[in-house]
Amino acid sequence: MKVAALLQSLALDVHCSGNAEAEVCHGTVGDLLSFVMGRCPEQAAWVTIQNHVNVAAVAVLREIPLIILSDGRQPVPELTRRCGDEKIALASSPMSAYEICGRLYALGLKG
Amino acid sequence: MGAPYVVEFEIAKDDFLAAGEGSGSVKDTLKMLGIPSAVIRRAAIITYEAEMNLVIHGGGGVLKILISPEKVEIVARDDGPGIPDVELAMREGFSTAPDRIREMGFGAGMGLPNIKRNADSLEIESAVGVGTTLTASIDLSGEGGPA
Repeated sequence: MKVAALLQSLALDVHCSGNAEAEVCHGTVGDLLSFVMGRCPEQAAWVTIQNHVNVAAVAVLREIPLIILSDGRQPVPELTRRCGDEKIALASSPMSAYEICGRLYALGLKG
Repeated sequence: MGAPYVVEFEIAKDDFLAAGEGSGSVKDTLKMLGIPSAVIRRAAIITYEAEMNLVIHGGGGVLKILISPEKVEIVARDDGPGIPDVELAMREGFSTAPDRIREMGFGAGMGLPNIKRNADSLEIESAVGVGTTLTASIDLSGEGGPA
């Protein structure tokens, strides 16, 4: 599924549109950066409540095309800027991480 | 065999905003040199974790990457407090990171295990009160698949 289609399907608030054509094939959820760093599958959408610039650093290194901040978190400006620079899609939603993951799974992203 | 291509970064203490930039540059350099993508992925994880260790625990330090046709070697050196028990520090889930750092999602106790998992060899020399030098390398003789 492409980033742009996913952003639309979940009605996410988009802060950086990233690479709209990038494929998202998996999903991951977590707030421990080393956990995501070590275990995240490739081309995954990452759901987290962590809201600082290091989230973008992990996404760059693991080639994560889409970061979704859950539970109404609004990204800090440094995170938005870095995601913009690195062409990573950054979105947020009032939904809980659990609910976002449920919807991603229903869309066919099986982890 | 020529001298290895060397990239070196000064990593500042507690500079979380800049953290990850060193690893990002290393990744770009490896791409430029045509290193296989599986190796780049492993090197990126190692450099990021080593860089974070310098930021969080080492009081800053130097991250150095040596690239030769045989291997990619990542060396992280600090003059920080040292690791009293390296074996314990290698255990997944063990962390000495302070609470304010854990709240940012660091300190999962996975940094060194992540490095070990992605390296073909790992050496840690540490002396309490003197500092730590971590040397991780990835062999380039194979296809660079998972360690």
